[in-house]
Amino acid sequence: MNAYRWSELYTGLAHSFEVELTAFMMRQFLELSGDNNPLHLDPAFAASAGFPDVVVYGMLTSTLYSRLVGVYLPGRYCLLQGISLDLSKPAYIGDQLTVKGEIAHLNEAYRRIEIKAVIEKGSEVISKAKIRVGLLEH
Amino acid sequence: MSDILTHLQQIFRDVLDDPRLQITRESSAQTVKDWDSLAHINLVSAIEQEFQIRFALGELAELKNVGDMIDLMEQKLAVR
Repeated sequence: MNAYRWSELYTGLAHSFEVELTAFMMRQFLELSGDNNPLHLDPAFAASAGFPDVVVYGMLTSTLYSRLVGVYLPGRYCLLQGISLDLSKPAYIGDQLTVKGEIAHLNEAYRRIEIKAVIEKGSEVISKAKIRVGLLEH
Repeated sequence: MSDILTHLQQIFRDVLDDPRLQITRESSAQTVKDWDSLAHINLVSAIEQEFQIRFALGELAELKNVGDMIDLMEQKLAVR
């Protein structure tokens, strides 16, 4: 886990990590969220809607933004304050995703970090986010 | 309406998610719905990025309303 302090941060600082989406994650997210919409559970329903397989929950892939800020950028002293999110393309079980984040702005007065983040499957963008985090000072 | 106030109004509308919001120099956190402490940080950060200026905490603490913010912004933009 990274543990950036304010003085170590700069605009353009970036981190990334990779994740494979699994059926186990889908079961865990179903239990956690209670979202039993058939688009995420029933391959026949997903096929009838034009998808090749059940669609991974958009909010499941979005949990990776929590890992991005809580573990990597800024890591240990992160306090997540807000996120604006676009889910651009569907993701499927077995997809290999890359989660990338880069500091876009540092507000010195309130020690607020703004991070531009993206989740990619190969060259395809699955989702984009603007993430706002504070930095704990203890 | 001054250019800065016009520009600020769009920023306030975007950040506070209220496309019909009308702000004036007298508008403040006491008079504008949803202008809470977190929204205030969002507003300041958005203004910094949009106008390419930086605020110090002490400067922000002295602001009472949008008019004070505009005056401070004009000072910063004049010496940029």
